[in-house]
Amino acid sequence: MQELINTLKQQIVEQLNLKHIKPEEIGDDQPLFVDGLGLDSIDALELIVLLQQKYGIKLANPEEGPKVFHTVRALAEFITANQKK
Amino acid sequence: MELYINGIGAISPQKTFDNSVFLDEVLSYSTNKMMCVDPDYSLFFDGRAIRRMSRILKFGIAAAMIAIDDAGKPELDAISTGTGFGCLEDSEIFLRNIVADNEGVVSPTPFIQSTHNTVSGQIALLLKCQKANNTFSHKGFSFESALLDARLNALDYPTQQNFLVGSSDEISTASYAIMSRMNIFRKEPCDNLAQLASSGKGVIAGEGAAYVVLGKASTENTYGRFVDVKMISNPKDEATIEKAIHAFLALHELSLKDVDIVISGLCGDESRDTLLKYCNENVYTEQSIIGFKHLCGEYMTASSFAVWLGAKMLKTQQVPESVVLRNTARTPKTILIHNAYKTSHSLILLKQ
Amino acid sequence: MPSAVYIVGRGVISALGDDLSGNRESLLQSQAGIKAITRLNTRYSEILPAAEVPHSNETLAAMADMPVTTTRTALLSMIAAKEAFDSFLLPDKLNYKVGFISANTVGGMDKTEDFMKEFAVDTSKGKLHDVIHHDCGAATELVAEKLGITEVVTTISTACSSAANAMIYAARLIRNGYLDWAIAGGTDALSRFTINGFNSLMILDNELCRPFDDTRKGLNLGEGAGYVVLASEKMVALLAQQPSVKLSGFANANDAYHQTASSPEGRGNFDTMSGALAEAGLQPSDIDYINLHGTGTANNDSSEGIAISRLFGTDLPYLSSTKTYTGHTLAACGGIEAIYATLAIEEGVVFPNLRFQHQMKELEFAPQTNLLEGKEIRHVLSNSFGFGGNCTSLIFSKVK
Repeated sequence: MQELINTLKQQIVEQLNLKHIKPEEIGDDQPLFVDGLGLDSIDALELIVLLQQKYGIKLANPEEGPKVFHTVRALAEFITANQKK
Repeated sequence: MELYINGIGAISPQKTFDNSVFLDEVLSYSTNKMMCVDPDYSLFFDGRAIRRMSRILKFGIAAAMIAIDDAGKPELDAISTGTGFGCLEDSEIFLRNIVADNEGVVSPTPFIQSTHNTVSGQIALLLKCQKANNTFSHKGFSFESALLDARLNALDYPTQQNFLVGSSDEISTASYAIMSRMNIFRKEPCDNLAQLASSGKGVIAGEGAAYVVLGKASTENTYGRFVDVKMISNPKDEATIEKAIHAFLALHELSLKDVDIVISGLCGDESRDTLLKYCNENVYTEQSIIGFKHLCGEYMTASSFAVWLGAKMLKTQQVPESVVLRNTARTPKTILIHNAYKTSHSLILLKQ
Repeated sequence: MPSAVYIVGRGVISALGDDLSGNRESLLQSQAGIKAITRLNTRYSEILPAAEVPHSNETLAAMADMPVTTTRTALLSMIAAKEAFDSFLLPDKLNYKVGFISANTVGGMDKTEDFMKEFAVDTSKGKLHDVIHHDCGAATELVAEKLGITEVVTTISTACSSAANAMIYAARLIRNGYLDWAIAGGTDALSRFTINGFNSLMILDNELCRPFDDTRKGLNLGEGAGYVVLASEKMVALLAQQPSVKLSGFANANDAYHQTASSPEGRGNFDTMSGALAEAGLQPSDIDYINLHGTGTANNDSSEGIAISRLFGTDLPYLSSTKTYTGHTLAACGGIEAIYATLAIEEGVVFPNLRFQHQMKELEFAPQTNLLEGKEIRHVLSNSFGFGGNCTSLIFSKVK
């Protein structure tokens, strides 16, 4: 799980072009949206693209986004639960 | 109705982003492409905002911010912008993404930023300006249409006072490659500073953004006045363009003798420059002729750079040597910008 | 109060029909034009419904009397603009100061995206002819040239509010004496660029859209062009037949909330609706019908609905979204819907908001669900709200 979390941090920084942040600076349980990292709705869409392109998981309903992307750990858990074997 | 030019901002292939200097240093280029000299964008945008921004968004919005700051940050009543090609780089990225994955999963950011009104919309967002907002995209008349929009707002709404007007256009990787294939550009090696004197085939590609804040009242910072703008589509011959020039000036109770300086949109391509050359030699016989496209290159909204240049001349009362094509020792009181983008001719009248 | 500007001609092409009469017929028959994509070559043809104009470019080119290599955006524009031009019955009409104020968002993208397929692989490939009319202004110039219009020709591109803004610009030019009359409106053709773009934003419905329904899932894209002919009072005095509708008010404002989403309270929407009313010298209670922007996205309909509630309170006019028929025609929608507004006034009809079932929880009103006829429709408010926070409202009024 920790390895996935670390990989995700790297991928998030790349996908969202967060040039001013190092992956290790993102807390495992830090809120990604509104507070914490302060991402917005466009970033949420980009994360949906990341999920699909890198993990083959399609999030059909963007409204699930806030829950799935709440923290990096939440995202890692979602991927683990849903990734096609 | 005359409007005061109370603030200016330009980002171009010259060091124009600093309003405290006026072409003190002129940059020379030996390629047929001149790209913007960037200011430090971190002064304008924080890290989170800047991460998504394409070049045109950065220099377009920053130029507007410079102008607004220069004008003392007045409350704006309308924002009118022009762009010939819009946000090309983002359009290209999105198109490539669609092609690469055969319409598979694509990132939305370049699409969102590809719409022509992105610069205008982002300016409104940053300033939290909820007033009227327009974007014109009509080739060589994009900026002129925006100027006219500001003028119409000023005429129609007595309570409206301050108007932001400007334009931006960028060279993208694809657009440069495509226009090169179309033989639009001068064959290299080039010398931008000699471009207008060395009439040949092809233009030097340019890009940039320039904004002005127009106000109904003058301020301590006022550069001069914007009087009016006229667009002339495809004038069929010399007589037509001459007639249009006289009519435009007469509309404002002026004749040619009242015009001191003509800022000419010569681009150094013989076929494009014929009518402008005719005017410079036969119509504007007593005026000093100024060139500007050797500094900023040719692009659909280059006339906004000419407005920046004219405003600077009116305020400083200086005519930099680097822009003079013909000097008749006239002091800058009334300036006529006569631009042409291919066969789209425009006249912009500025006064002290 | 500023002088009104009169509607003295109209031209439209959409999935509902090739001209005004075809569109009118479909509207009155509650016949929507949204279906599976059959013309555009896209991976989403079986997945995302759209409202295509059911003609190939070859057919459109013949209708427009233009080369078959012309961009689809320009072809649609030509057909509608020509109908508008021809419908303006003034002798020697080109002997005046005439303008063509058009609008589009995609420009020549339908051809550019074909070009990109080859160019992306090898920059020496791709037919250059496919990209010479890429920019927005190209389509406008082609049409203006064919119609012989020269005095003022320009293009506005403010996303979904484009055509509405074009009409405002034209009206202003007429009021201030720059023009005597003008053709104003917009055009947009369906393209893979826009389908993929909107799909990446996850705001497309894979079924027929249901604007203003609580369970709505998004919009359907459409294509088309719509233009009105606007003329000054001086011009109108020269006409044998007097116009029945005028453009009596308008307003342009910016939501300044987010690049693509509207503020929850719809402040930009509120500003333009109230601004248009103020300009027209009208009260909310004077409006008989609102042609909603009503795209069917969760965000737009909520913001628009809330703004309407704030402005109109409980005394609401009839409301409907004709995008339930035409899909969202992007830059063209302001023009097409302006024409539908004039039909509502002339014929005393209210077109239904199709496929509506569930009232939105945050609103205390529901749109009109069946066709109404024989109504007195004096004033119509038409909304167009786009990306970049660009909001515009127009008011059309019956000429007494």
